[in-house]
Amino acid sequence: MNAALRSFEAQWRARPADALQPIREQAMQRFLKLGLPTSSDETWRYTDLRSLAAQSFQAAAGEIRGTLDPNAALSLVDGTQRAATMIMINGAAPADADNTRIHGFTISSIKSLSKLDHGALLRFFPPVSDADQRRWVLLNTALFDDGLYLKITERVTVPLVILHVSSGAGAQEAAHPRIIIDAAPGSSATIIEHHVTHGEFAPLSNSNTHIALGQDAQLEHYRVYATSAGATHLDALEIHQARGSQCKQFTIALGGGLVRSSLDVYLNQSGASLESHALLVGHGDRHVDCVNIVTHAAPDTRSRQTARAIAGDTSRVIFNSKVIVKAGAVHSDSQQSCRGLLLSPSAEIDTRPQLEIHADEVKCAHGATVGRLDPDMLFYLLSRGLDRETAQSLLVYAFLADVLTGMSVTSARSAIESALIGQLPDSQTLRNFK
Amino acid sequence: MLQISDLSARVAGKDILTGVNLTVQPGEVHAIMGPNGSGKSTLAQVLAGREDYEVTRGSVIFEGRDLLAMRAEERARAGLFLGFQYPVEIPGVNNVYLLKAALNAKRKAAGEPEVDAYEFLVLIRQKMKFMQMSESFLTRGVNEGFSGGEKKRNEILQMLVLEPKLAILDETDSGLDIDALKVVSMGVNSLRDPKRAVVLVTHYQRLLDYVIPDQVHVLSGGRIVKSGDKSLAHELERRGYDWVLGAQVA
Repeated sequence: MNAALRSFEAQWRARPADALQPIREQAMQRFLKLGLPTSSDETWRYTDLRSLAAQSFQAAAGEIRGTLDPNAALSLVDGTQRAATMIMINGAAPADADNTRIHGFTISSIKSLSKLDHGALLRFFPPVSDADQRRWVLLNTALFDDGLYLKITERVTVPLVILHVSSGAGAQEAAHPRIIIDAAPGSSATIIEHHVTHGEFAPLSNSNTHIALGQDAQLEHYRVYATSAGATHLDALEIHQARGSQCKQFTIALGGGLVRSSLDVYLNQSGASLESHALLVGHGDRHVDCVNIVTHAAPDTRSRQTARAIAGDTSRVIFNSKVIVKAGAVHSDSQQSCRGLLLSPSAEIDTRPQLEIHADEVKCAHGATVGRLDPDMLFYLLSRGLDRETAQSLLVYAFLADVLTGMSVTSARSAIESALIGQLPDSQTLRNFK
Repeated sequence: MLQISDLSARVAGKDILTGVNLTVQPGEVHAIMGPNGSGKSTLAQVLAGREDYEVTRGSVIFEGRDLLAMRAEERARAGLFLGFQYPVEIPGVNNVYLLKAALNAKRKAAGEPEVDAYEFLVLIRQKMKFMQMSESFLTRGVNEGFSGGEKKRNEILQMLVLEPKLAILDETDSGLDIDALKVVSMGVNSLRDPKRAVVLVTHYQRLLDYVIPDQVHVLSGGRIVKSGDKSLAHELERRGYDWVLGAQVA
């Protein structure tokens, strides 16, 4: 057993039992048995966790040192245009979560819900398969202290922001934020999860979000990784979709040192549809590993996955996606498009779209390309007098524009654009373009 | 304005230009004609500063400066413009942003202030009207989804906004119907003045009925094998390139 595993086990033993104990116990035993994923696990081939495995982790406290500077975080949504901002510090739900009243939402901490309606809560802890993708979710289930439960009850137009703050008192701490989003049939909302760091130390963040969309529910969901350069973030998102529900998901990686992001979508009933967009920016020596698995489990389901990855300096970006069409899921319609752009000779992008089809009469398309800036486009811009850096940045920006233009929250889009431009060469000139 | 001496260039290890000599004076329009594969487009690209084209010999002086020592963007800012044979589509980069950036890059190099946003819009609308282009060009990506003719009009629009000292137009007439050809020719003619020069690279003499050249040159095997006045173009049209090439052998 490695140091990390031992330290997680020690945390587990020190933990007082609560209403979720049987589920937690089961998850912890599975986690200990399986151990941390290694490069021999299929979806972890590109991400080396050996140095992480050698560390001992303490539980991060649900509070920060000093005061949180609201301007330190990239402000994604204008104050007048959001329903609320829920601040989660190292995974701890806000103290007043249970008393928060926001039109169209019912909000509580997961602890309160487990006391109130334990049966309802169990729905959001489905049995975890052996897939190596889910290893860290087991640990999250065992160790999450408290999380946030959000029920969407109406059609809400203004976005709700969840600001995840990672803030450690020292090195080698770990937090396990947990969010449950439960969209009632026919409801509609936009939720932005924004991950940032506060202070010198960023705990290992092992976050998990579980989304259940009821019949005909609509959700636009963002997760924006904007943590500091040294931060390690393992984030898992699971979405279960009922009949006719529509989900538009954006995964934006703009920060962090090591980011592992997974998306598991289950299109469980006919008419369910998913649009997933990933914008992955490799900068400095950042490592971004993104894995999507979309399961078409019912007839007439639809999925669209678009990923745009750029990698500069000595960064590495990985995007793997897989579409599984289960037996009987006839007339499933899926498309996967992954494009990567290398900006430096020392950067690397790996992408692999996969299909696993067990049904007839399906429409599944996929494509993946990785390349450098098109020399014809570059020469065209240079021949018009633009300097090289501006021309390159402009082309990079244009490459990512597909994903950006799909965002309906315009303030979030501008903030993301601005943060993105800040990571491109010659950002000042490019800003003047906007 | 432009003195090309013994210019030789190689593309992907293959010698394409083998000693081009050409002098263009201010106020002149020169036409460079020649069969396919004669090196016309290579000459245009080498003059504009395409890096993967290797110059192996010779010199080019533009306005008293060593053109070959300048990078592509410096050449553009110094007043050289290449109208592309195949203008590239750049989705996501707005057509007008590019024009504004190009104009400002040139102004900055000349020590002038950036163009005022309102004045720029007035200018661009006026030039677009002149080129008979629809308003949608303002919002679209660079050449994105443009027809062949629209792309060529867009090249001329850029030229009119940038007002280069020397415009090299590479097969700007190819793929144009007669109406588009007239509009493009009108654009080129509007730029003619005693301080500027135009080099038209073309396969056919059709364009030369509308933009009357001062000199016509025939490029073959990577060098200029015959030069004359506008009547040379007509003669070529009538007798074909074999006539010149045959004469060359004799």
